[in-house]
Amino acid sequence: MSQDQNKNSQVFEGMANIGKGMATVMKHFGRKPVTLEYPEVMPDLSTRFHGRLALLTKSDGTDLCIGCKACAKVCPCNDLIQIEMHRDEDKKPVIDQFTIDKGRCIFCGNCTEVCPVDCIKMLPDFELSGYSREELVLDKHDLTLTGEESDEWRQIRGMNPHVE
Amino acid sequence: MTATDVTTPQIQIPGVSVEQDTDTEDLVVNIGPQHPSTHGVLRLITTLNGEVVKEMEAVIGYLHRSKEKMAEGVSYFQYQPTIDRVEYLSSFYDHYAYVTAVEKIAGLKVPKRVEYIRMITMELNRITSHLLWFGTFLLDLGATSPFFYAFRDREEIFKIFEDITGARMMYNYYRFGGLNNDITPGWLDKVRYFCDWFPDRLDEYEAIVNKNPIVMDRTIGLGLIDRELCMKYGVTGPNIRAAGVPMDLRKTNPYCCYDEIEFDVPVGERGDVYDRYIVRMKEMRESLRIIRQAIDKIPGGDAAEVEKLRQAVAAKEEAAKAKAKETGEKPEPVPPINPDFEFKGQKINLMTYKPPAGEAYTTVESPRGLLGCYMISDGTPKAARVKWRGASFSNLAALPELMIGQLYPDLMAIFGSLDVIMPEVDR
Repeated sequence: MSQDQNKNSQVFEGMANIGKGMATVMKHFGRKPVTLEYPEVMPDLSTRFHGRLALLTKSDGTDLCIGCKACAKVCPCNDLIQIEMHRDEDKKPVIDQFTIDKGRCIFCGNCTEVCPVDCIKMLPDFELSGYSREELVLDKHDLTLTGEESDEWRQIRGMNPHVE
Repeated sequence: MTATDVTTPQIQIPGVSVEQDTDTEDLVVNIGPQHPSTHGVLRLITTLNGEVVKEMEAVIGYLHRSKEKMAEGVSYFQYQPTIDRVEYLSSFYDHYAYVTAVEKIAGLKVPKRVEYIRMITMELNRITSHLLWFGTFLLDLGATSPFFYAFRDREEIFKIFEDITGARMMYNYYRFGGLNNDITPGWLDKVRYFCDWFPDRLDEYEAIVNKNPIVMDRTIGLGLIDRELCMKYGVTGPNIRAAGVPMDLRKTNPYCCYDEIEFDVPVGERGDVYDRYIVRMKEMRESLRIIRQAIDKIPGGDAAEVEKLRQAVAAKEEAAKAKAKETGEKPEPVPPINPDFEFKGQKINLMTYKPPAGEAYTTVESPRGLLGCYMISDGTPKAARVKWRGASFSNLAALPELMIGQLYPDLMAIFGSLDVIMPEVDR
């Protein structure tokens, strides 16, 4: 009857191991839940988070963008960033329109990296949904931050303050 | 009742042998282009005799996004974010293969600090990938809790990644000859804390699964892969290591700084589904061991210390300039900080970057196996050809042969154990 004994010991061993596993599962009862109650509690995001795109301005609130279109050139989504600009009498660039379709944006961060004046940046803001596709197309007014916001953001990211 | 009756219960029908005499037709089951427990969109045309698989054909291509052709139409830097989408569970590896291919063609020198940061991020990425595999594999077998545990702990690593890359899964962090940005101050401490915290969690997983008789009954001796089969189909990664072949590019062809790090290559004995599970669990511990050593050895140490050095050099330069202004002589050259402490090598303009004409093939040991990137550059800002060698494709190719003669209910155990990810198969 050695085979029977063998079988019995196998059964006991199996039961012991299942018990060990279940005890581990039971440990979780005593633990704090890890889920975040999102709308009430906002997640703590990194300052480098790839979220909403924004155009920083100078401290007095005037445009920082020089219209070089570097961001449009490195964007992996075709024609996602569209810039219309002209030059005034002093040959200084004036941005007429700056459009980003965030519905097509893949939030890779390429544009923020090549910007020569550190104008286009990504903010740690992830609530970007809208009710229609047209709503997702952001124009210059939606994208531009005020002077104070820009200064605050530059401080958070440890960037140099803007100087003329 | 004798002892043999207990161990091998059999239903005996007088005059009929189950093997030969059942005069039944084969049944073709189309396991449609979504089910195989949704590791991706895969279609398996299966011919069944009763419950036994007679033949199996895998139909792939449902997730084809022409990632290779895409590289020929956009610049080198523009293509980089789309690599994340080739294999989204361990995209640091794809980036590494791509970036090193460009570095090899252009002969760019990479600072040592960069290599170490790449190594730490890649090993953490291996843990996230194996954790997801652990969760979904046991979900395939019918266990639900490990899935939640694995995803909970995976989130901790994602937080670590988010700190430096700004994204949880689509990192886009490596650059030609460097990194997008240096690590943040205190990041290494976070990783060290994770390395101390995580082994307890691994112990918990192993307590639940390792000796569980249900898991053992369903996995031991199932889906045997041997050395010959691996060579026939090009199966790599933990699958070949479970077959007892210690093939690991980190040991055999050390890239990054793996030759300065001590670690073992876990191998299995039988090459069955259970061994593949054990090998992956052991690999996670080895990854932690590598990360711990890398944190201690990283040139420059924490980002705050490197920043202090940079500021000291800048202050010295300014003092030298001021002195030169007074005396009217040329400013004295100030020794820069150790180039190994930088997070970027040679400065390049990413927008118009073009490596010289040439070709390169780089390989990396990804969590799924050998990942290769073959690149031909013709000296223009766009690559002439980029070819990916994904490990999942070869691993999936072995599935039809593995399944012949196996029971249909074992399909998910065997397929799950191969750790196939469909976006990498189809690209």
